[in-house]
Amino acid sequence: MSLPRRSFLRLAGTLTLGSALTGCLAHGRLQTLGLAMLTVPEPLGEIPPPLPEREWNVLRRLTYGPTLEERRHMAEIGAAAWIEEQLAPESLSDEAAEARLSAYPSLEQPASVLFDLSDELFDDQDRSTVPAELRQATLLRRLVSRRQLFERLVEFWGDHFNVSLDKGDCCYWKTVDDRQVIRPHALGAFADLLSASAHSPAMLVYLDNQSNRRGAPNENYARELMELHTLGIDGGYTQLDVEELARCLTGWTVKEHWWRGEFTFDTDQHDMGTKQILGERIEPQGEAEAQGLLTRLAEHPCTADHLARKLARRFIADDPPKWLVEHTAQALLHSQGNLRQVLGALLLDGLDAIQPRFKRPGDFVVSSLRQLQAEVGEPAVLLEPLARMGHLPFGWPTPDGYPDRSSDWTGTLSARWQFAAAMMQGELPGTSIRLDRLLAASPSLSAACNSLGILLLGQPLAPAIAQRLLAAIAESGLAGEQEALAFAAIGLLASAWFQWY
Amino acid sequence: MTHLPLTPSGLRLRFIREDAPAGDLLLTVFLRGAADGLNIVVPHGDTDYYRQRPNLAIARPDDRSADPGDRCLDLDGFFGLHPALAPLLPAWQARHLACVHACGAPDESRSHFRAMELMERGVASETGPASGWIARHLATRADDAPSPLRALAWGTAPQRSLSGAGPVATLRDLQEIQLAREPRQAARLSHLIDSLYSVEPGPLEAIGRETLQLSARLQHISLDPSSDLPYPPTEFGRGLQQLACLVRADAGVEAAAIDLGGWDTHYAQGGAKGVMARQLAELASGLAALHEDLAPFWARLSVVVMTEFGRRVKENGSLGTDHGHGSVMLILGGHVAGGKVHGTWPGLAAYDLVGPGDLAVTTDYRDLLAELCQRRLRNSALDQIFPGFTPTTRDVFVA
Repeated sequence: MSLPRRSFLRLAGTLTLGSALTGCLAHGRLQTLGLAMLTVPEPLGEIPPPLPEREWNVLRRLTYGPTLEERRHMAEIGAAAWIEEQLAPESLSDEAAEARLSAYPSLEQPASVLFDLSDELFDDQDRSTVPAELRQATLLRRLVSRRQLFERLVEFWGDHFNVSLDKGDCCYWKTVDDRQVIRPHALGAFADLLSASAHSPAMLVYLDNQSNRRGAPNENYARELMELHTLGIDGGYTQLDVEELARCLTGWTVKEHWWRGEFTFDTDQHDMGTKQILGERIEPQGEAEAQGLLTRLAEHPCTADHLARKLARRFIADDPPKWLVEHTAQALLHSQGNLRQVLGALLLDGLDAIQPRFKRPGDFVVSSLRQLQAEVGEPAVLLEPLARMGHLPFGWPTPDGYPDRSSDWTGTLSARWQFAAAMMQGELPGTSIRLDRLLAASPSLSAACNSLGILLLGQPLAPAIAQRLLAAIAESGLAGEQEALAFAAIGLLASAWFQWY
Repeated sequence: MTHLPLTPSGLRLRFIREDAPAGDLLLTVFLRGAADGLNIVVPHGDTDYYRQRPNLAIARPDDRSADPGDRCLDLDGFFGLHPALAPLLPAWQARHLACVHACGAPDESRSHFRAMELMERGVASETGPASGWIARHLATRADDAPSPLRALAWGTAPQRSLSGAGPVATLRDLQEIQLAREPRQAARLSHLIDSLYSVEPGPLEAIGRETLQLSARLQHISLDPSSDLPYPPTEFGRGLQQLACLVRADAGVEAAAIDLGGWDTHYAQGGAKGVMARQLAELASGLAALHEDLAPFWARLSVVVMTEFGRRVKENGSLGTDHGHGSVMLILGGHVAGGKVHGTWPGLAAYDLVGPGDLAVTTDYRDLLAELCQRRLRNSALDQIFPGFTPTTRDVFVA
């Protein structure tokens, strides 16, 4: 539902601050819009001076796009302090984001309730509301949360422990997985994260472990657990290890009735024989067999290497320096997988090793909105563009998660250009970018373009760029200054420079 | 694992001028997820097949106890086609379809990602070029003014086989390439973006400008999809249909790649009917429609259907199959030794199997690809395309 801004303001004015924040929040659209009003980004106007390169790089890499607020904060405290702050997300109050999340009731529901909510008596099950809410909430958090590094880590672990919403009941269970597996442990202990994932109905169904039974094993989860989640493909495990781990994992399944969608260990399905894995003999102990192995895998040096490489690639550079990867792996081993400490070691010590990386479509879309202080009334409008760019949250079909190298995403340029055009032309319902204020605060169109440069590229425009931009504006035949500025914004959003972060 | 970095100092292969007549248009169809070759081209003459798959095996062509629609379609007295592949029988009878069984790669990791990567790179192990085999083929046969559609990746990201040597047009739909619906606005935006991408050179800048050229070129191609042909109404079907438009419009496509997923049937694979049968139906109807649509061009077309590895001979406890080794390759074209199942059948007895009970590989997939490059793509630089590999002639492609 989209409202023109004027009606938006009128309606919001009818709610008092008190009634909006306190009391039982009905999930009515009206209240949501009212709350959205309370969380609008700072409007464009006077643009702060550019940040030093280091601070600018850190903001781009560790947030989903530097906003005016974040830029000011960074200028005040500097990169190291900013990172320390973000590594303690619980210390950052995030009421505004939380208030907006109340629009998505399914986020907090247990599995059985999610299933029942979608279970319509005479029609087919509704398999779209619950996943749509999760996707929208995910995007919303990236757009407005103050805990930006935390959201980046949630995305990282979500990719690492990939679950696709398009496989069977995963469309319901992934909401629970996001809440109970990824979010509580993204900056916690890796062993806890791994164990939570292994007990996650979403993961067990996604990788077919619910049909891994005594006498009829299914290797899928056991294999990916070692290959993707822990040791890595060169981690030294064998085909036999996969088979034996699968035997240990028999019985790790999901309840079908009574609290449907919760984890259960089914003794009847469990293979009670002795197993031999990674050179160790495992006596029959039921659930404890795989549980013990999870701890062992979490603490394994190959796991540390594997995770360190992936983290360094995501947060530092496509090809991170070896010393930094080793440093991070050591941090994992010495801290017993304390991810807060590990990320501290990687980011604080690797700060100067940050190299440009190509934005994935999600990064492009969210940074476009954040860096222009956009108000996004309806995150749902972002789902179709992201689907076209092949980066819908939780939409990657295979367990390896969305690819993370620059060269994997260069095919999405024209879809990005189309998104930039749609956004600046006001074609995204509920989304508005107030260039009129930017124009009002600038002495000329040319100065306003320069401000766009600072907002989007971190610097005033280089003369060669400014010249081309103004020439293109002149040739476009566009009448009004606002239209011209919007046109310039499309150009800069579409440009090669804005695709790197 | 090394990748060609996409940085301002990024690497590009040098283009070499070669004045040779054009070869076939190559289309690779990659079945993602390790497709079960044994249930695609069924060894109905092998009793071990039936012994190992009491539930999943496809009934013999003469099995009276099975529903006629569930029996495999006999090809040569030993092998048969899964019934869902019936739409491909005309191509088989016209000798445009060849099968190569017990075909695959040396890699025994049974890891999708690794196997796909190695197969698309055309290498046997980690060491070796990071680029794709098709990319290397295109690079050794380069052109001064290549069509922006020369290498076409259908989907949202270039397939690995096409990557690493120059621009790849990546599309999910031909309409995607337009910047705006309104032509004047599209032109304005195109000019704006092009002028900004021309400020300084770089790999991304080149990709950007090529993308704009592609868009301009497509506006001049009149696309007339043959809507009465039975392409499946899926992304795969639409991809094939639009590719056919581009072929008819002589848009300069030299190599195209399209994927079809859903083959990782660990669970409830189904036999003559079910999950896998549905995927096969989509594959067959798409290829059959393409075959009919491009009948006048078939002499200049080579279609290779491949998968990263096959599946376990013995069915698993979930009525599915685990990761295996050897699989089947399907080859369609106007110049193939069609109407035949090629390869050496290793057998399915316990002592014939490899690893945990998998079909052996008796034909390396690169034998076929090398023969394709040499005989159909007019490219003899095999040492550059498949370095360190000595291909064996299989006579599946005809020069």
